[in-house]
Parts: sequence; C-alpha cells; structure tokens
Amino acid sequence: MTAHANRRTRTAATFATAALILALPAVAQVDLGTEEQRAAGKVVYDKYCGQCHGDTGDGNGYATPRVRPKPRDFTTGKYKFRTTPNGMLPTDDDLRRIIEIGAPYTSMPGWPNLTSAEIQNVIYYIKTFSPDFENPDRYAEPIEIPRPLESTEESVARGRVLYEEQACGACHGEVGRGDGASAPTLVNDKGDPIRAADLTQRWTYRGGPTKEDIYRTFSTGLNGTPMPSYADSLEVEDRQHLVNYVYSLGDGDDPNYGTLITAVYSAEPIDLQDEETLDALFESAPMTRFPLVGQITEPGRNFFPPVTSIEAQAVYNRDEIAFRVRWHDLRADTSGRNNPSLEVPMWDEDNGIGGDAADDAGDSDDFFGDFGGEEAPAEDDFFGDSGDDFFGDGGDDFFGTADAGAGGAEFSDAVALQFPASLAPEETPELKPYFLYGDAQNPVDLWFVNLTYGVADTFRGRGSDSIEPTEADIVEAVTSYDQGAWTVTYKRRRSSRAGVSFAEEQYTPVAFSVWDGFNRERGNKRALSSWFYVYTEPSVEQAVAGPVLRAALIVLAIELLVVFLVRRRARQKAADEEASGATLTATEAPAV
Amino acid sequence: MWGLNLPIVLALAAIGGVLAWRRAHTLVWLLYTGGALWAFFRFGFTVPIPQSVATIYLGITGLALVSYASSSRERLAETVQPIQRLILEPRYRLALAGLLVALPGLAAYNAYADLTMPLEAPGFGREIHPPPPTELTVHDETIDMATAENPYLHYKHDDPELYGKHVENGRRVYYENCFWCHGDGMGGDGMFAHGLNPVPSNFNDVGTLPALQSSFVHWRIAKGGPGMPAGGTPWDSAMPAWEKFLTTEEMWDVNLFIYDFNGYEPRALGQH
Ligand code: HEC
Ligand code: HEC
Ligand code: HEC
Repeated sequence: MTAHANRRTRTAATFATAALILALPAVAQVDLGTEEQRAAGKVVYDKYCGQCHGDTGDGNGYATPRVRPKPRDFTTGKYKFRTTPNGMLPTDDDLRRIIEIGAPYTSMPGWPNLTSAEIQNVIYYIKTFSPDFENPDRYAEPIEIPRPLESTEESVARGRVLYEEQACGACHGEVGRGDGASAPTLVNDKGDPIRAADLTQRWTYRGGPTKEDIYRTFSTGLNGTPMPSYADSLEVEDRQHLVNYVYSLGDGDDPNYGTLITAVYSAEPIDLQDEETLDALFESAPMTRFPLVGQITEPGRNFFPPVTSIEAQAVYNRDEIAFRVRWHDLRADTSGRNNPSLEVPMWDEDNGIGGDAADDAGDSDDFFGDFGGEEAPAEDDFFGDSGDDFFGDGGDDFFGTADAGAGGAEFSDAVALQFPASLAPEETPELKPYFLYGDAQNPVDLWFVNLTYGVADTFRGRGSDSIEPTEADIVEAVTSYDQGAWTVTYKRRRSSRAGVSFAEEQYTPVAFSVWDGFNRERGNKRALSSWFYVYTEPSVEQAVAGPVLRAALIVLAIELLVVFLVRRRARQKAADEEASGATLTATEAPAV
Repeated sequence: MWGLNLPIVLALAAIGGVLAWRRAHTLVWLLYTGGALWAFFRFGFTVPIPQSVATIYLGITGLALVSYASSSRERLAETVQPIQRLILEPRYRLALAGLLVALPGLAAYNAYADLTMPLEAPGFGREIHPPPPTELTVHDETIDMATAENPYLHYKHDDPELYGKHVENGRRVYYENCFWCHGDGMGGDGMFAHGLNPVPSNFNDVGTLPALQSSFVHWRIAKGGPGMPAGGTPWDSAMPAWEKFLTTEEMWDVNLFIYDFNGYEPRALGQH
C-alpha cells in the first residue's frame, strides 16, 4: 500500500517536472508515455471508461444507445474541447481538464477521485486508440486566450452586431435559446442529432461557463460538431466583444434550483385573455427554477430529455389561483398527438429522432437477452407491441419525420402540473401520492396542456397504467411560444370539491412534466420533476414591527420583574438581619 | 458526515471541554448547555431539520435544565447566587444595565429573524433501510429473506471464470440502466441525481452495501421505491422496481457487480 502510494507520488513528481520542461520551450510534441504507463492506463480505462467509450475505444459501450451526446469515439482522433486550433489534436491538459471536471448535463462525468498519475496514464492509453497521436502534423500550439475585456455597454453592443453578422442565431436562436432556424436539422459527423447550445443557460455549457471557455469554444470550434471555429473570420478583439455579448445572454452562473413556489396574493381579477395585465400580475411573483430529469423509473423511459429545467410562479386572488410555467424548446411542435398515457414501445426508449432507429430496434435483442438469461416475462409485453408499432405506423412515421426541421413532428409539445388529489392527513404530513402519476390509494390530478390545442385537460392518475380524464374542475390555460421559450399560464378556482383546494398559508405538493415532441416524447417518455411545494402566501401582509416589539417588551418586563423581586427580597432580608443582628450583637458581640 | 456541520459541532464540543477544564460555575454550565443546544439545532446540521422537531427538543432540554438547577436547595442557591450579586452589588450596575438592554434586543432579533426567514419547503425524515419483508416473491419465485444469498457469490471462490462472466453481465445491466441515478463511479451522483429527492444511494459508502445482506439488496432492486413500507417514503423514491425490466438472473448479476466494483462483500447471513 505504502509502496504503491510512494510510486504514485514519485510518478506524479516525474510528470510535474516533465510538464515543466515541456512548458518552457512550449513546443507541441508527440508524447505517448511508456509501455508501463499505458498498461496502467488500461486498467483505469477498463474499470471506469470502457462501459461508455467502448472497450476498444470506438465509443460503443453498454451505455451508448441510451445517451446523447454519445460517448466520444476515440478512434477518430476528433475532440471537442481543445485549446488547439480547429482540426488539431487536444493537448494533454485539455484531456485532463475534461476527465477531471466532465461535461455538465451529459453522461460524461468528472472523475475527481482519480489521481493525477492515473489520469495521465489513462490519457496515454486513450491516445493508443487513434494513429493520429503518432503523427506530429496533427499537433499544434494552444491558442492564446486573452484576458476578458470589461463588459461595457459598447462592448456588448459590438458583440451583438457580430453575433448577427456571423449568423450565430441561425443555430443558437436570436436571443440564444438554442432555437435557431436550422437547429432542428443539426447532426454531428456521425449523423447523430445534436442540439445547438442554449446560450442563456450557461451552467449547461459542456465546455465550461467562464468567459475564457466561451472564447475558446468559438475560437477553436468543437471538432466533429456543426459548431464552427471563428478564428479566421473574427479578430481577437471582436471575439472578446462577442464573448461579452454571449455572456450577457446568460441567465446567471448558476441555475439556483429551488424547492418552493410562493404564490402571492393580488386583489386584481385574473384575466387570461388580457395579456398585459396578466404579465403585470406575474411581474410581482417570485420565479423559481426546478430541475427536470428523464423519466427512467417506469417503462417508456426517456434517457436524454433535452429540457433540463422549468421555471414557475403563481398568483392568487380571493377566488382563483394562476400558475405560470416557462421552459426552452428548440421549436414549437404543435401538430402532433400527445397525452399522459400514450404508449411508448420499448424500441423507442433508445432512440430519439434521426439516426438508425431500425438498426437499434433490430438488435435490441442483443442488449437484453444475450447473456444466457431467459427474458423477463414483463419484457415480452414491450417487445410484443414494439414490433408491431415499429413496422407498422411507428416505423413509417418515424422516417417521415426524420428529416424533420420543417415543423410537424408526430408528437406535440406538452406540459403538465401535477397535484395530489387531496392533502395528506394531519397525522402523516409526509404522505404523498407516488410522484409518477400517483397510486391506487393516493391519486393525483394532472393539468395537462397539449400545445397543439393550447387548452388544459384534466386527468386523474392512479399510477402510470390508470390515467383517466376528469371534468370535476375547470382549468383554463393560455399558451405562447416566443423565440425558443414556451410559456403556459393556468387558472383554476382556489376551492375544489373533487381535488385539492388552495387555502392561504398552505403548502401544497406540486410536480412538473414536460414533453418535447421533437424528441418523440409522449406518455411516460417525458422530463419530470420530483415533488416540490407551492406555498400560498397570506393575503394580509404580516407586520414585522409588532411581533418584534412585543418580543422585546415581554423580555424587558420579565427582566424588570426579576430585578424588582430580587431587590425587594434583599431589602427584606437586610431589614430582618438588622433586626436579628441587633440581638446577635447583644449576645455574642462578634468582632467586626 | 451524517448531515452534521462538523466545524460547528467541534467548536461547541471544544467550548464544553474548556469549561470542564476550568471547572466552570454551575450557572455557566447551564447557560452553555442551553446555548449549545440552540446553536446545534440552528447551525449544526447541513441538511435542514424541521423547525418543529428542534422546538420540541429545546423545550424538553429547557425543562430538564430548570429541574436540574432546582433539584436541591444548595444547587439552587449556588445557581442563582451570581445572578443575585449582579442585580444587587453596585459595582455591577453598568453590566446590569447592559444586560437589561441586550436581552430584549436579542429577543427582538430572534423574532425578526423568524419572521423574515426565507420560506422553505417542508422536509420530512425517512428510514433509509426500512425492515424488509420476511419472504420475497420475484417472477413467481419465492425466497426466504433470512437465508437467501446471491446464488452466484460462491463462484468467486469456486469458479472465478464464471464469476467474472456474471460480474460482466452485471456491468452491462448497470450501464444500461442504473448510472443515470447512482453514478458512473457509483457515488450516488449520476447525471439525474440532482433532480431526485431522496437522492440515489451512494454505493461507495461503507455504510451501505457492506452493511446489507445480498437478499436485502435483491429486495430493493426487484421492488424499488414502491416496494418499501411507509417509513421509507415510497412515494418519493425514484428507484425503479427492476422486476419490470430485468430477469431474476440479471438482478442478481447487477447485485454482484455493485459489490465487486466497490470491493465489498455482502453482510454474511445471520450477522447482525
Ligand atoms: C457514462 C458514460 C461515460 C463514462 C463512464 C465516461 N465517459 Fe467520457 N464521455 C462520455 C460522453 C457522453 C462524452 C461526450 C461529451 C460531449 O460530446 O459533450 C465523453 C467525452 C469524453 C472525452 C472527449 C472530450 C472531447 O474533448 O471531445 C474524453 C477525453 C473522455 N470522455 C474521457 C473519459 C475517460 C478517461 C473516462 C474514464 C475515466 C470516461 N470518459 C468515462 C461518456 C462517458
Ligand atoms: C451551424 C450551427 C452553429 C453556428 C452557426 C454556431 N454554433 Fe455555436 N454551437 C453549435 C452546436 C451544435 C453547439 C453544441 C455542440 C455540442 O454540444 O457539442 C454549439 C455550442 C456553442 C457554445 C457552447 C459550447 C459548450 O460548451 O457547450 C457556444 C458558447 C457557442 N456555440 C457559441 C457560438 C457563437 C458565439 C456563434 C457565432 C459566432 C456560434 N456558436 C455559431 C452550432 C452552431
Ligand atoms: C431513476 C433513478 C434510479 C435508477 C435508474 C436506479 N436507482 Fe437505485 N435508487 C434510486 C434512489 C433515489 C434510491 C434511494 C431511495 C430508495 O432507497 O428507494 C435508490 C436505492 C437503491 C438501492 C438501495 C440501497 C440501500 O442502501 O438500501 C439499491 C440496492 C439500488 N438503488 C440499486 C439500483 C440498481 C442495481 C439499479 C439499476 C438496475 C438502480 N438502482 C437504478 C434511484 C435509482
């Protein structure tokens, strides 16, 4: 153990010196490590990396069919996150960076537990997968990344002009929400669909959120993706202005995920048709962002949902409560079908649009049955109708929309709010319905909006296989799609006889679901949240001064009382002592 | 560790140590105990604990402290004596005046902080390892939880090659199904973990797999969140019931793999 650790530190030291020596002349050169290092790297790789990147480095690991973006195929020698010019190989530091911190919101995790030497070894091993690393011509110096310019108004304005001139918006959208006109058609070198980054959500940038990262991204380009390099078309200073503009599009460094919607009181009527006053009403309500993840607990799993968060707010008046939710989507899919209980055949778990659905569906047997086990009885169900669906309308429709882009997917965008049908009894306040569409004992109500129609339908859920339309309450909704953002506003009476009522100062559980039709999401294939809460703030604002003053006065009164009592007793005692002291002196006369 | 804010807890313990060393006065001890408990509940946890629980604990300990102080005449006299001196002796007059102002100030601040505290969603505790059933039926096969064991575990010694095959199949099952939640390195930190509450279990943790029998893990894999009794808040858990997706063999294989990957052994039968 100690010997092992010793060896590690020694290797690390060697590398540190080596790095120093290399850094001095700053010449890019072929460094493939020693046989021993590559062998040590293979051990790390086989344990931690092969299940995604493939045991032979071809990007075909066990997880590959179910993740997007797909794990890098190391045999191509193409890397996204580099400090080197477009088309060149990454430096060891580039590789080290991605291995240490990962690419957020992808399945490539950071590996903070690997030692520096282990990372270096695995880098040497990764290099063996592509002959490019033996070719000195494929190496280049890292570009210089200047210190960011101050983000003045002029700089941002100049950046905006460049953003328009260079047509970044064609992919990233006019205000950067990833909804550019060509966004739905983008594919990478391997023909897999790829999304233009949502520039407003900096925390999801795969290459990192800092100004230096952004500068690097569009100076070197992301090899193998449609994201080009602008090193040749833009001067250094212009690129710095562009960084400031891209940065200004961002919604903060951090998603600041919350757990609570605070519904604020308003005396005003809530009129969904009057856009202006409605907007003004929501202006006063705090906005909370909630994380969404793929539904992968029940059949119809969604392994790569494009929508990763939703924002929500709420207002209420005497009789009604209104919720507003907002999320980003690369285009409005408003022509297809959708509802919470649409069936999702098994083969569609692995495939979004584009790519080779047929191949994957064909050999999905490989994934499930090749290691000697009999098939789970439940699985038969999926395969039973998947075949039909696939070769029947599923397949046709699928190829019909594969070249999508022009709008009109098979499935429409949709959203749902989920509430328990009744609040938990007082003795078990933690009790809730199952967060996936409820359960038999504790049902949920869904306020579902299929964005093809833009009206709210209500469903009662008693589990994924029991979702029935209800008409007990009337829920109204208005919807809008603007530059990559869906906004849906709901309204209902606060009191309900069949479902949950929203009393003042009440915590009501709420959960969200979002369906992206473009990603073939429908039924249980959705992005969802766990249970959160909506708190209906008291309509009468609580005065702070009163209770604070009261607390101070009560304590002061107690203090004064104690002081008064103690002093009075002391006085009495003194008086008593004086009286008895007189007798004492008389009898014993102690010395004073 | 255990949701504790270690620096705070250690600081409180250190103050206690100093007091013991200096043989502090009873009154100081009482004030310390009350204050330390208050600070412990307010700042001592990294996970929020329900306000109501803290209030109950503080109420009970407050009563206990008062009854301790007044448990005998001498102790009571000893405890209140410094207070009497503070109130009566002229040389403490300034200190007394200060205290008369400071305490209401503190009370006012506390009331203010309570009123303006940012709202928080209610949080509830849950049993992480609730008691398993005595029998488990998966895919029409019933096993006795007390005596069942992973049927492939013994290959580790009897037939390492076959063992390796089962582990490899478990690896496949894991990376086709589990890592989004439990993480690539099994740290409970998969790419979906941040959106789930409760968070997925961390299999690197010595308090998890090594403390469990393989039959317990089998139960959790086969029946998932919904299979738990109410104490485990089954309605919140995203843990799937894998019997819907996997064969019995695949479930034992992935069970084998998560132990093997972390270098752990299941808790042996009959060990408690
Ligand atoms: C759970 C799947 C998974 C595991 C495990 C995994 N990766 Fe990745 N890796 C990915 C994905 C997906 C990408 C592509 C990310 C992207 O395109 O944004 C990636 C990309 C990379 C890249 C390329 C970055 C670039 O600039 O193009 C490197 C290098 C890499 N991984 C190394 C590793 C190493 C080393 C390990 C093991 C210690 C590892 N990965 C484990 C999924 C994984
Ligand atoms: C042809 C389409 C296209 C154009 C034009 C384009 N991009 Fe991109 N961009 C992409 C795609 C696709 C990605 C996502 C790549 C990925 O996730 O691997 C991306 C990613 C990015 C990222 C974030 C990378 C990350 O770390 O996740 C930034 C920043 C960015 N682009 C800025 C720009 C700017 C600025 C311009 C204009 C100067 C621009 N892009 C023009 C397609 C484009
Ligand atoms: C959708 C997310 C998700 C997926 C996928 C998932 N789990 Fe879990 N798992 C959880 C959560 C959350 C918990 C903790 C809550 C609980 O105990 O139910 C958990 C708990 C567990 C436990 C209980 C551990 C303990 O300490 O009692 C085991 C064992 C387990 N998971 C194994 C697996 C295996 C094996 C797979 C893949 C076949 C898997 N999980 C897939 C979310 C998931």
